[in-house]
Amino acid sequence: MKQWPIFWRWLTVAALLEWLIGRTLTRSAIFMPKTPFMISSYQVLGTVGQVAITMTSLLALISILWIAWQERRNITFALLLITSVACSLTFIFVLPDGWWPVIDRMLLVAISTVLLGRLWRAAGDRRRQLILTIPVLAVWLGALYHWLPALAQALQLPEVPALGRTLFNIGEILVAFTPIGLWLLLRPRERIRVYALATIPAILFSIMHLIAPALVSMLVIWSIGLTLYLPWPLYALSLWLGMLAISSALKRDEAIGWGLLLLLAAGYAPQVSTHVFISLSALWLMLAGQPVEQTKCTSSFQSQPQIHAVT
Amino acid sequence: MMKHPRCMLAGLILAAIILTFFKIPLASSQSLTLIATRLDGELPLGDPDSALWQKSTAIDVPLSAQTITIPYLNKTNVKTIKARALRNDRQLAILVEWSDATQDDTLVRVQDFRDAVAVQFPLITTVEPYICMGMAGVDVNIWQWKADWQADIAARQDMETAYPNMNVDFYPFAQTALPAPVDYTDPNYVTAYQAGNLFAQVHATPVENLIAGGFGTLTSLPIDNQLVQGYGVYANGQWRVIFARDLKTTLPDNAQFDPGKSYPLAFAAWDGANGERNGQKSVSQWISLNINKPVAAAQPAAARNSLLASIDTTQVVILAIVGTLLLVAVGASIAWKIETRGSK
Repeated sequence: MKQWPIFWRWLTVAALLEWLIGRTLTRSAIFMPKTPFMISSYQVLGTVGQVAITMTSLLALISILWIAWQERRNITFALLLITSVACSLTFIFVLPDGWWPVIDRMLLVAISTVLLGRLWRAAGDRRRQLILTIPVLAVWLGALYHWLPALAQALQLPEVPALGRTLFNIGEILVAFTPIGLWLLLRPRERIRVYALATIPAILFSIMHLIAPALVSMLVIWSIGLTLYLPWPLYALSLWLGMLAISSALKRDEAIGWGLLLLLAAGYAPQVSTHVFISLSALWLMLAGQPVEQTKCTSSFQSQPQIHAVT
Repeated sequence: MMKHPRCMLAGLILAAIILTFFKIPLASSQSLTLIATRLDGELPLGDPDSALWQKSTAIDVPLSAQTITIPYLNKTNVKTIKARALRNDRQLAILVEWSDATQDDTLVRVQDFRDAVAVQFPLITTVEPYICMGMAGVDVNIWQWKADWQADIAARQDMETAYPNMNVDFYPFAQTALPAPVDYTDPNYVTAYQAGNLFAQVHATPVENLIAGGFGTLTSLPIDNQLVQGYGVYANGQWRVIFARDLKTTLPDNAQFDPGKSYPLAFAAWDGANGERNGQKSVSQWISLNINKPVAAAQPAAARNSLLASIDTTQVVILAIVGTLLLVAVGASIAWKIETRGSK
């Protein structure tokens, strides 16, 4: 990440803090006894979480605008990004009505579609393309899942198409397989100690899931938007290999590691525009962070030679 | 500016603190949205089968067991509800439908529990409080429809409802052929009724209007503040319940609704046959309720005024500041890029 502007690191840290504090710790704190000290601590934590989400929102907007600038030669993609930011900011103050939510969510579908197309247009390692398709497709399905109800409401249909839930479930499968795929891609050769340390979150998740499945499910839905409808060992395996992939990628300073962290912080099928922007930024980062010899063939990334020259 | 990343970071943190202090969000919602479609005439408040409900797009809201605070059940029966909303210039109506294998609408026997459904709105709409009963400082207004209250409106239930062939030596309420002693009907001797206890009244509506500000704080609003109307019907293994209330009320502790604005909304449901009551229930996450604006073509002036009214001047100023900060940040990024290119 040394070759990227420093705000990308700030974004990653802020997004992780926001996820950890704003969406996980403060919510799990309500399971604890309510002593006056706990209440005070919780209030402080809540305030820090609110600042973290605002900071994350600021940095997410900056990152999307920065990407738009980088993509200025690919004017359609840049305009999609800028329009999406403009819609997001406008809809904070003016309630979107009629077709506006459809357009807003269609923009996100379009952006992820462009990223998907770009990934497959690039010549190079098909295995890498296949693996990176998994997270891009998951984000694409998440965007489509939010787009369908908006479309149904704009068309004044009496029902939202049932297809939405199927899309969501397929997307969740892809989310579960993303860390596994990235681990296969990176093939980290770590010491046994690292492998053992990386199992800790997976073991904690497994124990908590066995003791209190309903509680864990609710926390996970709040935290990253997954419903845990798949067999729990798959999530545990995904968590373990994901930790290994992140650890390995960060050691090698590969953008994939940062991208995975950002995707984790954004969650699946996010319900807030900030998290959508973070997931799109993460995908862009993962795709842009491909080795030079693979990205040279893609027209869209040729506008940033100084970045890839040092990759 | 990029030469001094610490300054930029400090500036961003300061901006974040200011925005947080003024409660200015920088993110818009992408979540599930229930749109209250505007109608010109009367709302179908007593008819869940009315074709008018089809003008509103139904949304399926997933529910899961409340497992945050005891007492809770790990397995609750209501997994999803379907919701629609309509409004006219005066009222808001929400239709909630869900599957339930049994109709539990009596509480006469101690072993019985009722089916019920509730909707919840935060009284402060700028923040979403905890989904379960709100939190200190952010109260929630809850409308709870109760199947037994609905049945009571049709015919008051008592012991003979549960035990139609009961026989007692002397039970004035069961022996309708004999007049009850005056002490039993004189309000002065029915203390709960006389004191205004909501549960001792003859129910005028099957919906209880409540307020809460955290676990253990759920409180019924006074009788004169029981403003929510309701109607529920059970057929073919499905409950269909309508909530209705005026968009605006003058009484305190009630959610207020303005056309053209969005409000957080959450649902809860109870299956009495599963022993679900109180905190043992299924709950949804927060979704958005969009109070649909008037059609612009029909009322251009009203729509324009509504749009202007929805924009707060302070928020616009703060947005302008944030916009400037963003421009500065983007400018700094470009400068950094040019600088990097130059150094090569």
